[in-house]
Amino acid sequence: MLVIKPKVDFVVTVEAEITPDLAEDLEKAKNFEVYYGKDKVKLKELFEITKEGDDKKLVLDGDFSKVKWIGCRMEDGEIVVKGNVGANCGAYMKGGKITIEGNADDWLGAEMSSGEIVVKGNVKNCVGCAYYGDMQGMKGGKITIEGNAINYIGEKMAGGEIEIKGNAGDFIGTEMTNGLIVIHGDCGFVGGDMKGGEIRIGGKFELMPTFKKSEEGFVGDVNVGGKGVVKTL
Amino acid sequence: MHHMLHIKNGIVIDTKNGIKAEKMDIFVKEGKIVEESEIDKSQCKVIDASNKLVVAGGVDMHAHIAGSKINTGRTMRPEEMRMVRQIANKFRASVGRVLLTSPAIGYEYAKMGYTTSFEAAQPPIGALHTHEELDAIPMVDKAALPVFGNWHFVFKYVAENDIEKLKTFIAWAIERTKGFGVKVVNPGGVEAWMYGGNCRSLDDEVPNFGVTPREIITSLIKATEELNLCHSVHLHCNNLGNPGNFETTIETMKLANGFSNDKRQVLHVTHVQFNAYAGSSWRDVGSGAAEIAKVVNGMDNVTIDMGAAIFGHATAMTGDAPFQFTLHKLLGARWSNKDSEVEGGAGIVPIMYLPKNPVHALQWAIGLELGLLVESDKVVLTTDFPNGGPFTEYPYVMAMLMSKKMREKELERVSPYVQKAANLPSIDAEKTLDEVMHMTRALSARVLGLENKGHLGVGADADISIYDFNPNEIDTSNDYEIINKAFRNALYTIKGGVIIVKEGQLVDEVWGTTYWVDATNKVDTEAIEEDLDKYFELYYSVEKEHYGVEEAWIKNPTRLVMG
Repeated sequence: MLVIKPKVDFVVTVEAEITPDLAEDLEKAKNFEVYYGKDKVKLKELFEITKEGDDKKLVLDGDFSKVKWIGCRMEDGEIVVKGNVGANCGAYMKGGKITIEGNADDWLGAEMSSGEIVVKGNVKNCVGCAYYGDMQGMKGGKITIEGNAINYIGEKMAGGEIEIKGNAGDFIGTEMTNGLIVIHGDCGFVGGDMKGGEIRIGGKFELMPTFKKSEEGFVGDVNVGGKGVVKTL
Repeated sequence: MHHMLHIKNGIVIDTKNGIKAEKMDIFVKEGKIVEESEIDKSQCKVIDASNKLVVAGGVDMHAHIAGSKINTGRTMRPEEMRMVRQIANKFRASVGRVLLTSPAIGYEYAKMGYTTSFEAAQPPIGALHTHEELDAIPMVDKAALPVFGNWHFVFKYVAENDIEKLKTFIAWAIERTKGFGVKVVNPGGVEAWMYGGNCRSLDDEVPNFGVTPREIITSLIKATEELNLCHSVHLHCNNLGNPGNFETTIETMKLANGFSNDKRQVLHVTHVQFNAYAGSSWRDVGSGAAEIAKVVNGMDNVTIDMGAAIFGHATAMTGDAPFQFTLHKLLGARWSNKDSEVEGGAGIVPIMYLPKNPVHALQWAIGLELGLLVESDKVVLTTDFPNGGPFTEYPYVMAMLMSKKMREKELERVSPYVQKAANLPSIDAEKTLDEVMHMTRALSARVLGLENKGHLGVGADADISIYDFNPNEIDTSNDYEIINKAFRNALYTIKGGVIIVKEGQLVDEVWGTTYWVDATNKVDTEAIEEDLDKYFELYYSVEKEHYGVEEAWIKNPTRLVMG
């Protein structure tokens, strides 16, 4: 296990594609290359890194809200973030677990295909979405958010599950083809151009007029011949 | 910085001057290739090219590198921009997978040893945009071909059978757009598309104008030849992208009969791969490349380029707006339609060529068949960037043309459909290194009418590439991996006498020239003034006074006055 602490308050964002693989070799981790703004620097120049035990785990202790791409493409192991985390956390993730004790930024778990992300705080936009121009968003795994999220949840989602215990904003499951989105609180517009999958909502929400009522719930979006289901919890 | 250069002991291939892998020295002074006697050897930088291939810089005569189409492609494909090739340092940041940014285009050409590239379809009303983007491309010399085949003025003069006015209009339009030649895209078809139609055969009438593609093409060839422009009519045929279209292509090529030019072809038919399909539907589509090759080989006034398809990402973008809509419907992919007022239109659709897809595999095979079956003096190597794929894959195409062994290996991974629908598996021909160098240098320069490009004779521009192998020792049939690798990263690329690439790495940035053709000395524009005034008042969104590009607005222009 590696404990990673920021040495300074970052002036610009850090792009650090760190994964639990780094826990295997302290020297390698210290010399891992990251971008600090446009400069390529070594991880040890920005962070204090200590090794404790041999498990495949990273503990990020401090404010990581300006550090992007944490856990990007990770395949196994665990990352625990003690504070807030920056954008694109868990993007393209293939396995393992990320726990964020604070808040997360945009693009949490974007295009992830497996693994688990748990956020104790709130999250911003584009959870489990497809990056602009790509055909599929989240394809598998699970994202759990204890707090609230903002707009664009599971856009082009093709599998897996997103659970939001608080409220969410607009554009839930837009162009979704498969998978499950559960929102316990209230949210805005739901299911535009939805082709498949299911959205369950506990509170109030706004449905597009292009969904048909059926025994299962609301089915649509009929504009795209969709068979998606929107229903209350 | 300009040095005098002495390129020593290189193995030179220069097909224009009949030099076939001979050990010789090349001398460069003030951006030109000169005689040994003109060089002061005490001040001269010596490049040791012992046992290395020395050739002229590559000339790409058909690529979409600037203007509204590629830019719309970039806008609608943000996913293309995630590949970072280089972060800003001594050189500018360079980004892009296939749809490269402007600096990336120049840099990637330079790394491959290419030093000239022509934008093959400039919407005339978008000329300023095109030139501003060309001005943002470093390293290479460039030019743009404005499109004429659907311009209302052209229809009008063709309908009136007034070749004098057509010539005058062409000269006026090329001067205004600072263009290089006459590009024609699906003549009449794009106009018909304004009403939801197309012109798929040479005799389909263009709505409201009473002219046919046959008449448009013939008249434009006649006018271009009478003006004796550098470059011939450069034609994207009707009926592109449809099974069975090889017959239209052959019929179109025959329109060149009766015209001749001492220096070059009178008709260049472009990206023929997309126009060489046999069969009657996508279910029984086959290759018409052999039939086309027979016709091209039998004519001495027609040239073509391959438009080879490369497996992987690409973006279809052409002035052929109706075809792009067909493609969008076929693939279910994103689509953008462009309209350039009374001049034509365009469309953009993302595409990915997959080896296991029978149609894509067939397209891949047809491109190569054209390169193999057509005589090397009549077919230029292109991918119609970015339609068939990235120009950065030219080395792959070069290696494939030279090695049957490589083709056999590649055939193993593609859809078995090509075994019955294409000729490629049964073609034994292998191009020689000389032939491939000809297809990428001397021939493309001749097709464009650029006398100082594509060769290393005294007086030529000092655009030189040096590659890391000895042509006299390499076995191109078996060493295809070496070929494929060597042509991706030139040992040296020299542009106008400046070393810009060394061992595949950029070392210096230069700004090439933008060629434009001025034939206004051959006509009296007074003759069409009244028509221009009327059309601009009635149909254009801009005033005639504001139309076009002034030479002073271009970074580094070269005006070529037609003799």
